[in-house]
Amino acid sequence: MSVQRNFPRGLFIAVTSALALMVIAAIVVEQAESSREALPVYGRVPDFAFAECRGGNFGLKDMLGNVCVVDFIFTRCQGPCPIMAEKFRDLYQSYRGIGDVKLVSMTVDPGYDTPQVLHQYASDQGVTDDRWVFLHAPMDDVVRLSEQGFMLPADELPMGHSTRFVLVDRRGQIRGYYCSDDDNCFGALKAQIRRLYHEAS
Amino acid sequence: MRITYRFAWISTIATYLVIFTGGLVRVSGAGLGCPDWPKCFGRWIPPLSSSQLAPSIDPSQFNFTLAWIEYANRLCGLALGILIAITAVLVIINFARRVRILVPSIVAGLIVAFLGWQGGEVVTSELDPTIVSVHALLSLVLVSLMIFVTQQIHYVLYPDAEKGSIYPARIRYWLSLAWGLSLAQVLVGTQVRGTIEIISRIMPLADDRVWLSNTGSVLYLHTILGIMVIAAGVFVGIAVILRSTNPSSLMREGAWAILLLMFLDIVLGFGFLLTGVPALMEILHLWVSSFVVGLILMMRTAAMQKERIAS
Repeated sequence: MSVQRNFPRGLFIAVTSALALMVIAAIVVEQAESSREALPVYGRVPDFAFAECRGGNFGLKDMLGNVCVVDFIFTRCQGPCPIMAEKFRDLYQSYRGIGDVKLVSMTVDPGYDTPQVLHQYASDQGVTDDRWVFLHAPMDDVVRLSEQGFMLPADELPMGHSTRFVLVDRRGQIRGYYCSDDDNCFGALKAQIRRLYHEAS
Repeated sequence: MRITYRFAWISTIATYLVIFTGGLVRVSGAGLGCPDWPKCFGRWIPPLSSSQLAPSIDPSQFNFTLAWIEYANRLCGLALGILIAITAVLVIINFARRVRILVPSIVAGLIVAFLGWQGGEVVTSELDPTIVSVHALLSLVLVSLMIFVTQQIHYVLYPDAEKGSIYPARIRYWLSLAWGLSLAQVLVGTQVRGTIEIISRIMPLADDRVWLSNTGSVLYLHTILGIMVIAAGVFVGIAVILRSTNPSSLMREGAWAILLLMFLDIVLGFGFLLTGVPALMEILHLWVSSFVVGLILMMRTAAMQKERIAS
């Protein structure tokens, strides 16, 4: 048969199954994309203004327009905080030159962590600009912001502070919580920062 | 003997399917869909919802779709391992005296076992670019071995397969050249991907087109080699179609397929220039290149067989 000579049957089957597989691929990729799109809005960051260790205040209005990662730490902490700080240093280095990705660390030990102590701590972390801020406020305000604003437990501070990283979009909306002791969580956090960065504000 | 042939054949197709699912894992970004290995979130059957997670695991880590894409690839790999192991055992039973069949099928068995173990390394290394490249290159070696084994068994069963055929002089050398080029091209391709990954860490927030445009010399090399592969592929394809007398169906269909794949490669090449690296194009690209390598090897083996029975 002339048809078979010109375009062999085996090849026809191969091409057809390849096309079928491409359809499967399209569906799988589409599913994977949409599964990631589910980046919910957990809530809004309430209005606040805490003292920043290098002077002045930093609050919700400074967060708006920026993609922010927030955590609660204290400088004397020997447990999870050094790991959290290491991750933040990584982010701080990664996003060098990008002014609208900000890192916000709040002390849960305001009695010891005076702005001066925080300033020294910031220098130790290699922080040279305002992409990473260190905030200080009276204990009651910190507890209220942690529990009611960021919905993170704040029992028996300073030891009982949360070790989660909170991702906040440009509109001040909480979009994700990430564990700080695991590289997978960290990878996911970076991927979501990239998505929120490109999300229209 | 026929059952061995059948298993070898099915294993070859299955190897391509697993290359496909592996590519899907990569392009859908599901590589860390299961953060642990070999289990997924500590379970042999991945969780269906985050309520099934152990309390120590952060639920925000769990994504149902990504976990199952990654796990499906592992299951397919496991099935492939079993298929290739059965093939190797059947070869040892039936073809122990044919070194040409025996050695590659045993090596294939070892490689598939290694790939299975290395899949775990890919996960625990958090998708280290070098380890991912080795994983991809080894799967190409595996599929090449399986094609070779299947074809050699075919020639034992059908010794007359290339009897009446006449191919252009020195086509074997051209096929060897094309095969070498396509292998080199894949190697450089993995370097392109690795470079993009490194750049994505330096410029974490940039668009993927920006990443691609910053890849530099390795991408030029990939483009130039690509043009050479396409030239060589089109040349051997046309030579076999126009200059052969009574070619075996394998050669004839192979030649048509290679022309088709070269055409697809050209379309994809321009596509990348225009659009960056969309997921679907990336997997098509991976798949086309794995077919090119396998197909040219197959045609080269057929030309060798022709020379063997002629001498």
